Amino acid sequence: MIEVEGLTKYYGPHPAIMDVSFNVQAGEVVAFLGPNGAGKTTCMRILTGFMPASAGSAKIAGFDVMEQSLEARRQIGYLPEHAALYRDMRVRQYLRFAGKLQGMGRVELHDRMDLVLEKCGLAERADQIIGTLSRGYRQRVGIAQALLHDPQVMILDEPTIGLDPNQIREVRELIKSLAGNHTVMLSTHILPEAQMTCERVIIINQGKVVATDTTAALTHQARDAETMMFRVAKDDASIPTVLRELADVKAVRPVKGDPGAYQVETQIGCDCRPDVARAIVDKGWGLLELRPLEMTLEDVFHELTTELEGES
Amino acid sequence: MRNVLTIAQRELVAYFTSPMAYVAMLFFLGVCGLIFVLSTSMQMPKADMSGMFHSMIFLSLLMCPVITMGLIAQETNSGTYEMLMTRPVRDVEVILGKYLGAAALYLIIILITFEFPIIFEAFGAPDWGMTLTGYLGIVLAGLAFLAVGVFTSSLTSNQIAAWLMGTFLLLFFWLVGWLGYGGGGLLGDLAKSLSAYESFGDFEKGIIDGKNLLYFITLAGFFLFLAVRSLESRRTV
Repeated sequence: MIEVEGLTKYYGPHPAIMDVSFNVQAGEVVAFLGPNGAGKTTCMRILTGFMPASAGSAKIAGFDVMEQSLEARRQIGYLPEHAALYRDMRVRQYLRFAGKLQGMGRVELHDRMDLVLEKCGLAERADQIIGTLSRGYRQRVGIAQALLHDPQVMILDEPTIGLDPNQIREVRELIKSLAGNHTVMLSTHILPEAQMTCERVIIINQGKVVATDTTAALTHQARDAETMMFRVAKDDASIPTVLRELADVKAVRPVKGDPGAYQVETQIGCDCRPDVARAIVDKGWGLLELRPLEMTLEDVFHELTTELEGES
Repeated sequence: MRNVLTIAQRELVAYFTSPMAYVAMLFFLGVCGLIFVLSTSMQMPKADMSGMFHSMIFLSLLMCPVITMGLIAQETNSGTYEMLMTRPVRDVEVILGKYLGAAALYLIIILITFEFPIIFEAFGAPDWGMTLTGYLGIVLAGLAFLAVGVFTSSLTSNQIAAWLMGTFLLLFFWLVGWLGYGGGGLLGDLAKSLSAYESFGDFEKGIIDGKNLLYFITLAGFFLFLAVRSLESRRTV
């Protein structure tokens, strides 16, 4: 549904994105993940036809965003960063304006209007002036205008930025509910958000795609060892040496600044928790806690984005 | 065409939901009214519009860049520009829509000044041919002035800068003819033919000349074309 091939954009001599390629299948919800300034917005602006790329091509539902710009734009519902709306218009009036420009007919507009207002939680604010709405409600109007014409592809640039925790949760639920019927691409620098709303992430850093995979595969792929942590009541200097003698244990390290807590790395694919527990109990160190450590997307992200900086 | 009307309608409504329409009306109609009162309370008042048009055209020149200054500059500044330009709308439709919205406001204001010839009609016998020709000039010149303003508004995200540039350009077209009186020759003729003042002068006298019609239509078309190019060039930055 979204095909991006070798996309490059220069601002003067400085490349904002460099040779970015990816595909998004129909009905998928994909997160575009990267630190601030990684090139997410640039990429989305090219996809939505706001600016051309310096090199490479992008297709939305088969339409080239540069060659068939109008056709491509017709397929998209776009929420730009900091959804800027006409503050002097009323919600319903604004949505009608947006829908007409998207080529919706009177009947279609009428039918979709109440549905979208309802879905975005705007039914009670439909006749309020946008300038008087809170940040959260304005963001919902932004999402509503992107959703109104029932586009095949939705491109949402930082959809939850500036919202309070409850609103963030609502917006995420809304985005999740779009999966299947719409192809959604959202950008974020918040990792749990990507993990919560999307099946797949594209990680971008310094204008380059550094990883693209499902959230599960990414967290799995990046770790080369199973890790667990435990905590004992009686800290003992001999703990690392004793435990390292166990089969499959690769390393034992005390957790810095937390006496009595240790991290254990073991061979991949084996669960050594029973052995470790038995050893601690036998020695009488007093086992308080033992749990596996899952590598989070956050760790993966950190690893991928800092590795690259080291190389360049 | 539908997109043009949608955008024009939004702009016209926006003029009336913001102070802009009222401020423009207050300025234009207020000063016109004052001049009307002053000119009719002279010792030998003439019951026709010939004196009025002279003031009205200059007020138009001052008002038009104010009406248009925000059309695109404001959108660029507030960020609504991005959402507008990523909809399936052609650049030329955006420019024409905004231009048409501004033109509608201008025509409404000019229409209100029609009270003056009607008052004259009650007290004398104004020359309606001359009056209507004068109005044709006011409308045509205004439409050209607005096009210049739309262009300058597309150049910047700063409304004040757009207004200043627009006013400057219009004053240039207004005053350039004066160069023709000093020197004459080929350059002098060129200066005169560029002059909006010269072209409007005939309308004021009640003369409809094809060359003057062409002048204002060309001026409007040229600056609208430049405005479209200006939006196109923004996409490639």
